Amino acid sequence: MSFIGDALTILIKDLLLELRGRESLSLMLFLSLLILVIFNFAFNPDKDNVSSMAAGILWVIFAFSGILGMGRMSVAERDEDAYLSVIFSPVSAESFYLGKALGNLLFLMIMECFTLFFFAVLFDFEKIIGLLPQLLPALFLGTLGFALVGTLFSFLSTASRYGEILLPFLYLPVVVPVILGGVTSMDMILNGKSGEAGKWIQLLVVFDMLYLAISLLVFRYLIEE
Amino acid sequence: MKTDRTITILFFLLLVLIPLDFFLIFRVAPTEKVMGDVQRIFYLHVSLALGALLAFTGVFVSSIIFLWKKKIVWDSVASTCAGIGLLFSTLVLITGSMWARPIWNVWWTWDPRLLTVLILWFIYIGYFLLRGGIADKFKKAQYSAVIGIIGYVDIPLVRYATKWWNSIHPLLSQEGGGLDPVMKKVMLFSLATFAVLTIFLFLFRFRLAGIEERLEILKKKMED
Repeated sequence: MSFIGDALTILIKDLLLELRGRESLSLMLFLSLLILVIFNFAFNPDKDNVSSMAAGILWVIFAFSGILGMGRMSVAERDEDAYLSVIFSPVSAESFYLGKALGNLLFLMIMECFTLFFFAVLFDFEKIIGLLPQLLPALFLGTLGFALVGTLFSFLSTASRYGEILLPFLYLPVVVPVILGGVTSMDMILNGKSGEAGKWIQLLVVFDMLYLAISLLVFRYLIEE
Repeated sequence: MKTDRTITILFFLLLVLIPLDFFLIFRVAPTEKVMGDVQRIFYLHVSLALGALLAFTGVFVSSIIFLWKKKIVWDSVASTCAGIGLLFSTLVLITGSMWARPIWNVWWTWDPRLLTVLILWFIYIGYFLLRGGIADKFKKAQYSAVIGIIGYVDIPLVRYATKWWNSIHPLLSQEGGGLDPVMKKVMLFSLATFAVLTIFLFLFRFRLAGIEERLEILKKKMED
């Protein structure tokens, strides 16, 4: 099987697992809803200031909900050393990584669309749905960066005895450039400065490519026995 | 015991160099016109920053060598460097903050340079958190090498992103360019002193790690 074909097989395996167990995605969705409610108490956004706060609130939710989901995904592999059976199969470590990252990307995107929808409903901010076509490139690229780094670090953190608790400590500092890019470009688009968002989107493309290259290079060392 | 002799020599060298460095900083270097005496902290601040950079580069290089050669000694080198880098970058943040209070009128500002050091600091805290959580020596070495590499590669990205971000929210500041010739000499001396200190700390800590290792082997032998 090919490199991409193997990755897709891993992705399908994760989707099947999620369909049967409903472990990570549902937790992610509930957490984002919960944080939305808490942000409402914390900032009490109204019609005048909601557009200036939206990007920040949303990306904080994406980051934390994402950590929860990606942590679960790799715990599922570490439990009873399930990943070893994948490693002993002819699938290469790189395809395995790519498949896991694609799965994380998909779950994160679902969670983000869900969060955007509820943000529009709960904070009476329908504008964000109308701007979705413009928001999508930055959202996708930022999420891709999240998934690429997150997949790698969730495997790192679950190897320690602290488990997934360690993930935010390792993951958040490294992913700062992506968060900056995501928040800033979304903020610009929401506040009528779409023209300036372009250069941030280019920056996100560069970051994503770098993270992908490095992750593919080092991932095999995380699952070697 | 060649290392032991080098450590002793460096120790006595530093006994001379450090007091001399402080003498030069406080007595010989002229007082800066605008900032006054506070500017003297620069000699330490910049030297510490350079030491930290040196140490983190050491982590990066030895992490790569470890993944390539699989010799555990390179993990000792990497973690020793990481410890020194973490110590120095903590001091960089503290001395910077002490300087910023009288000059910028704030303890902290979200300037790209400050932010980059802070993120760097968080990454290497994570490095040690992970090491503390893995018992198996080889695994510990392997996983922390991955952080040592990614963390280092991430730094230019953080620097670049924060610079862009900051150019949109203009905040601060350009520090002065031309240095007085005496100031320059004192700065160079200070840099050299801290380079020697970094090497000394490295050798000392590395030697200690070796002794700890031997002790562990002996303990195991006694148990058997």
